[in-house]
Formats: sequence, C-alpha cells, structure tokens
Amino acid sequence: MRIGRLETFLLLGGPVLFLGVFFLVPFAMMALASMQSDDGTLTSSHYVKLATDGYYWSVLLLTFEIGAGVSLLTFLLGYPLAYYLTFHVSSPALRRIIYIILVTPLFTSTIVRAFGWIVMLGRAGLVNQWLRGLGLISQPLDLIYTQTSIVVSLAYTMLPLMVLAVGSVLQNMNRSLLEAARDLGANSLTTFLKITFPLSLPGVVAGSLIVFTLSVSAYVTPSIMSGGRHLVMSMLIYQQYMVLFDFNFGAALSILLLVMTLLLITAYVLVLERSGRTTAAP
Amino acid sequence: MSDLISIDKLVKRYGSVVALGGVSLNIRRGEFLSILGPSGCGKTTLLRAIAGFVEPTSGEIRIDGQLMNDVPPNRRPVNTVFQNYALFPHMTVAENVAFGPRRAGMARGEITRRIAEVLLAVGMDGYGDRYPRALSGGQQQRIALARALINQPQVLLLDEPLGALDLKLRKRMQLELKRLHQDFALTFVYVTHDQEEALAMSDRIAVMKQGEIVQFDNGQEIYRNPASRYVADFIGEANLIDCVLDGGSGVRLAHGSLVLPYSCSGSDAATLMVRPEDIHLGDAPGDAAIVVVPATVRNKTFIGQGWRLVIALDTGHVISAQPPASAAIEQLIPGDRVTAWWPSERGRLLTR
Repeated sequence: MRIGRLETFLLLGGPVLFLGVFFLVPFAMMALASMQSDDGTLTSSHYVKLATDGYYWSVLLLTFEIGAGVSLLTFLLGYPLAYYLTFHVSSPALRRIIYIILVTPLFTSTIVRAFGWIVMLGRAGLVNQWLRGLGLISQPLDLIYTQTSIVVSLAYTMLPLMVLAVGSVLQNMNRSLLEAARDLGANSLTTFLKITFPLSLPGVVAGSLIVFTLSVSAYVTPSIMSGGRHLVMSMLIYQQYMVLFDFNFGAALSILLLVMTLLLITAYVLVLERSGRTTAAP
Repeated sequence: MSDLISIDKLVKRYGSVVALGGVSLNIRRGEFLSILGPSGCGKTTLLRAIAGFVEPTSGEIRIDGQLMNDVPPNRRPVNTVFQNYALFPHMTVAENVAFGPRRAGMARGEITRRIAEVLLAVGMDGYGDRYPRALSGGQQQRIALARALINQPQVLLLDEPLGALDLKLRKRMQLELKRLHQDFALTFVYVTHDQEEALAMSDRIAVMKQGEIVQFDNGQEIYRNPASRYVADFIGEANLIDCVLDGGSGVRLAHGSLVLPYSCSGSDAATLMVRPEDIHLGDAPGDAAIVVVPATVRNKTFIGQGWRLVIALDTGHVISAQPPASAAIEQLIPGDRVTAWWPSERGRLLTR
C-alpha cells in the first residue's frame, strides 16, 4: 500500500515536530548558551575554564569510572543470569516470571529505591545488623555513601537491561552450533568459551553501551547514594543551574559530558568492529 | 564384516508422544546405511540418539561393543554432519576444520597437514582462510564434511546433508559422498527422505514409519519385495491394486473376475503391487507367466525418457504404466483400448 505525500508528511510530521520542539531546539539553545556570557555576548571563557581547571576533569573521570563499574557489575551478574534463563529454564512461562521479577523494581520510584539501599547498607542497616549479630564485626562498616554503593545501586536498576540484551542474543543463537562443538569433542566449558561466549559478544556490547550511557547521565541515584561525599557530572550540572543559576557554564558542562561520552562510545564500538564483534552471527 | 553399531529396542518418548517405539538395528562396519522415511517418522531422532544428543527413554546403543547410553556426545567415536552444516561463523574454514583435532590435543604441525589433506579430499583446498559466510551452500556442505572426516571417526552420521542443494549439485554430491565413503573406508549412517538418494548410495536401507523400522534390507530387495503397502508406495513408484480372496487362497482383482496367479493365506484383503515400468502395453506374448488385463488409455505424458500413461483397467482400477518406448506407444491416444500385461513375477501381493 503506497501512501501519498500528504499522508507521509502528516504521519512523520508529528513526531518530527515533537522531536524538534522538545529536543533539538532546546539542545541548540543550550549549545548556544554554552558559548555566551551573562549578557549574551559570544565567549569561549566557559570552555577555557573547563580545559584548564582540572577539577571538572576529575568529576568527569569519576562519572565514567562509575559508568564503567556499573557496566562491569551488570555484566558479571547479568550474563550468568541470562545464560541460566536461556539454557537452563525450559518453560517459557517461568522465564517470563523471572524476568518480571527482575524488571519490577523499575516500576518503583528511583528515590524510594535509593532509600531502600540506605536501609540495606546504612550504618544501622540490615547488612550491618546481620554482621554484628553474627559477631563478625564490632563496629558497623561504612558501606553506604561510597563510590561502590553508587555503582551497586545503579547496577541493580540496570541489570534487566543487560539481561535482556545478552538474553536475546543467546536465545537466537543457532543451537546446532553448540551441538556441533560437542560432537567434535568439546566439553561444556570449552563449548562455552569457544562458541557460546564469542558469539554472544554483540549482546554484551549492546547491553554495556545502554548501561554505560544511562549510568553516566543518572542523577537521582548518585545524588542520594553519594551522601554529599561524591560528585558526578549530572549533580555538578544540576548545581550550576539550580544553585548557582549559571546557565551558561552549566550548558558548557552538559556539552562536555555529551561530547566525551560520544567519543568514548565511538572508540569502544570502533575497536570492537575491527575485531568483528558487533554484529550477531547469522 | 562385524557389527559396529548395535541398537537394541530403543524407545524415546517426549511426554505422550512416542518418537521411537522400540527400534532394533545392527549396522555393519564399513557399510553405507540409510535411514529412510517421511518427516516425523523418527529417523532424525534415531540418528541423534546414536550421536548422543537424544537420551533414550529405554533401550541400548552399543558402538564397537561398548555401551553408549551414558556417554556424552563429545566422548563418542562418532561425528555428525548437520543438516544446516552448523559451521562456526566466527572462525575461518581452517579453524572450523581444526576444531576437532585441537580438542583431541593433536600437534599443530600434524593438524595443519591433516587440514590440507582433508580439504583436498573434499575439493576445497585453498579455502582455509575464508569465512563460512563467503561460501555457497554446496561449499559449506563440503567443509562440514571435512570438519567431521578429519577426526577419522568410526562412524559418520549425516542428517539429510543434501537437502538444501539443487538437483544437479545433489547428484554430484551423492557420487562424491560415495567416493569418500570408499576412500576413507568409514561407516556412514545417512538420514534422508529421498528414496532415490537412498537407493543410489546405500548398501542397506532401514525404512521407518512412525517411530519403527518397517523394513531393513538392501535396496534391490526392498524395491522388489516391499514388506507392506507403505514401503511399496514410499520406495519408487507403485501401483497398488485392491484384490479379493477367491475361496481358499486364490486371488483375483477386485470388481473383476480375472484370477491372478498369486496366492496368499491368512488375511482377508490383499493388495497387488506392480511397478509402472513393469507394465507393457500392446500384444501380449503367449507366455503363461504373464498377467493380461484389458484397459483403456486415460492420458499420456511425455517424460523425456519415454511415455507415462494413465490407464483404466476394465475392473475400474486406474494405474500408471511406463512401458518401454516404441512407435506403437507413441501412437496411443486417450480413449484407445489397449492390452496391459506384466510378467507375473513382477507383481507382488502385499497383505499389510
């Protein structure tokens, strides 16, 4: 069925207009603001400040460290889970139930989730209570308000995304390839290392990209879990806008985060593309 | 020749579905055996049970005298050529072929030598550095073969390997497989639904129906003496004509009075099987050892090697005839009256 020009215009026009008005235009305005000073004159002073003051790079570094940490943790937890769901859970109904259990936390508010972690990891929280009750420690451990606690709580939220990305590649993997490996003398471990894992890398790449980009732009979870002791880029940008009312510098910081993230992702994908790991095997 | 594989009363059930209902089979060392049947008859299940991918519900599989029931596929002396080739897409041809020997811990130099040897044997030398996605179906198939052969298994299992190839290529590959079977002196177990293929390549054929073997013999025997209507119909073309018993053990065509020179006992109904190529049209020789039935030509088709005619016997049965080509046959047109006859020993009475 061929649709005419007018229908195409109307069908595409809606979303394009929406995207334009609510994303492209504000983005362009922000990009412009990053190059303006308070009175509206064009200046590069904000970018100069960014380039010369090491403080902002340290915040960026922490942000990316946390992003990488979350990707790694979701991979370490999510891959085995996806593998188990695909290869060891035979009933599709059970698979769906487990996945729903994984995803349900996402339906709760981010703030509530973060406070849940405080209840778990706080000085008077569950983990410390158990450890003291078992006599393993005498003083409560500092589990919360650390970089690790930010990574863990973000990973908890991002886990279903990694499981889904890896799981879909594993589900669609040609089973006879695994049988062929066994037929040729490979035991279960070798089959996994030589066949299953290499062929599942596109899913790992996709999952880690999603998790990384969501983690470096996360705001609520790092804010609460940092307890004021750590600062990530999103929090810094928030400060510029809402506390200091320096919209221009805030815009520059935003552009910096965007550009650096894009560069990182591009480098990651290029390296992997070279070794042929980005597209799923036929 | 001794038995290399012996399968004893193998049963496989999936819930209430019986995929294999007590299959017993002995495969001789060095033979080319085909397992033949339509989709769903259990032939692939049987093959996978030998390979170790299907755990039997009951029954035994022995290879070279050793019980294989608890032996995983990676420790059985068999290799499989899969229907969809299952070449590892992230490895080159050479890496694919080297996979088996690497698992067995063979030395690098030895592996390289063997890869070259086996690729030459399948006609794919020089393709070592290519990736499977750059190969055609026929080429991938040959690499799959090479990958299995390089391990010098006691048994090579082939699961409908030629299904995806076009007719000409398939015929060529059939000859190649036969040659490889002889050159490497291996035992081949070949699953197919193509009866022509099975007849062309095998020493013996096991015909399967709904999880059971209904006839197991060499191709000629099965063709000449099918054990049942099912086998007669599945292998080659067959005319199956209803007969009724004529007092005692005599037999005649249903709806007619012609008494046939066949006998049978112990059942109420019988079917006469005659192959179209055994039916002659025209004046019958004066031999006593022939069966003669008057008929009318219904239609005629040219099939290159000769003519195929559909004729209606006076008893009402409609059968196919593919007589030797002659000028008289060419001149027949639908509606013509004709005498159909066949040597009586070419007909078979089937009671199942």
